[in-house]
Amino acid sequence: MLVALAGIPVLIALAVRLTSRVPSGRGPAFLDRIAENGLFAAVTGLLVSIPLFLPLTVGVVAGDTIAGEAGLGTLKYLLAAPAGRVRLLLAKYVGAAVFCLSAVLAVALSGMAIGALLFPVRPVTLLSGDTVSVGEAMVRVLLIAGYITVSLLGMAAVGLFLSTLTDVPVGAMAATIVVAIVSQVLDNLPQLEWLHPWLLSHYWLGFADLLRQPPSFDNFASNAWLQLGYIAVFGALAYGRFTTKDVLS
Amino acid sequence: MSRRWLRWLPAAVVPAVIGAAVVAAPLQAVSIGPLPEKTPAEVLAMAANHQVRALTGTVEQDSDLGLPQLPPGAPTSGPGATTLLELLGSSHTARVYADGPTKVRVQILDQLAERDLVRNGSEVWLYSSRDNTATHVTGLDTFKPYGIRGGMKHDPGTHPMPTPEDIAKRLLAAADPGTSVDLGPEVRLAERSAYQLVLTPKTVNTLVASVAVYVDGETGMPLGTEVRARGQQEPAFRVAFTELSLVAPDASIFQFTPPEGATVKEIGLANDLPASTDPTLPAPGLPAPGAPAPAVPAPEPVPDPGPLPDPSQIPAPGPVPDPSHIPDPSHERPKVTGSGWEAVVEVPAVAIQRVLDSTPLLAQAAVAVPGGRLLSTSLLNVLITDDGRAFAGAVPLERLQAVAAAP
Repeated sequence: MLVALAGIPVLIALAVRLTSRVPSGRGPAFLDRIAENGLFAAVTGLLVSIPLFLPLTVGVVAGDTIAGEAGLGTLKYLLAAPAGRVRLLLAKYVGAAVFCLSAVLAVALSGMAIGALLFPVRPVTLLSGDTVSVGEAMVRVLLIAGYITVSLLGMAAVGLFLSTLTDVPVGAMAATIVVAIVSQVLDNLPQLEWLHPWLLSHYWLGFADLLRQPPSFDNFASNAWLQLGYIAVFGALAYGRFTTKDVLS
Repeated sequence: MSRRWLRWLPAAVVPAVIGAAVVAAPLQAVSIGPLPEKTPAEVLAMAANHQVRALTGTVEQDSDLGLPQLPPGAPTSGPGATTLLELLGSSHTARVYADGPTKVRVQILDQLAERDLVRNGSEVWLYSSRDNTATHVTGLDTFKPYGIRGGMKHDPGTHPMPTPEDIAKRLLAAADPGTSVDLGPEVRLAERSAYQLVLTPKTVNTLVASVAVYVDGETGMPLGTEVRARGQQEPAFRVAFTELSLVAPDASIFQFTPPEGATVKEIGLANDLPASTDPTLPAPGLPAPGAPAPAVPAPEPVPDPGPLPDPSQIPAPGPVPDPSHIPDPSHERPKVTGSGWEAVVEVPAVAIQRVLDSTPLLAQAAVAVPGGRLLSTSLLNVLITDDGRAFAGAVPLERLQAVAAAP
């Protein structure tokens, strides 16, 4: 899955490389910047992956955590070890969180690599029109990767909880992905404005604030609090469910 | 069995704690000592004489003008009225930096994009990240007609969000005998306590129900403005600081060099006045200084949010009079009937027509009424009569029709 994710920026960069000039203002934001500056391949790759590809892979991993073991019939053996259910749950969540980070880094690093390979790398123009050095730009891309990793943690917690509900891993995966997509759909309905700040995906595109000068960390903080809330709520639900569950398989 | 239920306890406690924290947070903010008592006149004076010159802050604008929502991906950097419509008709967040009147930077934070206005001395840069274009305006110090902020008015396509201070100043200037000025309850804005000046028109012949200006209790700086329209629950227009610190921003913020690869347009004000300075054009954003009309944002359109009429059924654009019969609009002052809140401005129909032509959305929004076509918003009505005249004002349609019918 990581390879597939790493392939996204490569695909984008190759497409830009092989076609003639991309007219500005068409396609995903930043697409037209790639030809000028390879570092934007990473940003565009992340931008394109956020709505679907990253939630998809995180949903698969998080949905598989408990239900996967149950589906394979290995869960009861895991619980036979004296480690305890809480520890198993925590270990599974940490595993999913590590996957979130590696998934985002896979996109970011392969994007920077392919961008550097195919296009010139030069000081980066930020959204504010100011220009920063290559070093600072790379720091910002890594900050964005951090932002997106944090954005996915709440979803991983939802996946973990859904995974404790069932013994069919595919069900948990699908349900997690559906949650992410429903959240994005709701976020686009102006009639539900009061709900928006509470939606899992509300701040997903807020990483653009790190591309402003001076960078704004307001969204970073709000996003972190929101995701923390999701982790707390769904972590507690997963705990309640998993420690009271009769494990038969 | 009871042990089993105990394990669900965290799942119940955590949401409860979060809920409690969310409810408690705003309550905590209110528990700060009240401001000293003042009369409306004292607050007005405070606002007029405030000495704040340097600030760093975030401004939020919310509009509910009864316009159809533009799709989120709509062009936001295009020319003319569409941009204006987008700027005033929808919600925005902007970061504002200022260090004296000649060093200003406004950043309108769009999703995945940004529009910037940087003023440093006599130079102004406008930059839009969406299409990577920069506009360079020079010669501001030798250009007088609109005063210091005039320079910002010349490119409606990139007109910045008006700052709360701008708007409040104009509103206070408009407070005349036809307006009652009261103090409302104190408000908290950007973590500061503020007086609330409420201007209420005494006449019923206007769309404006009330205008509130928030005046910082400590410095007297206007922190925000809220305009309410008659018959509308939500404020029609609100712009206010959400974050504010009165420290001078870093000087590097005002240094702007257009990025490599950007399209740069040069405008020299001193010798080359762009056409959009035409004073008879509906002023972008706000009425020209001195205009008697209450400062109500912009030439905005549209009927109730019902479905837009089928384009094929829209009456053809009203008869556009032969241009040769129309006096050159740039040499004619707009004719104003009535004063204060009831003022109706007669604008040359060509100007309106130009706006309509460039903005099909507006043209679609015009509805046929007896005597012409009406562009209606919660704060502004524009009547284009069948004989090719146009009347605009923050007044009900009946008054526009009456003015149009008067000899």
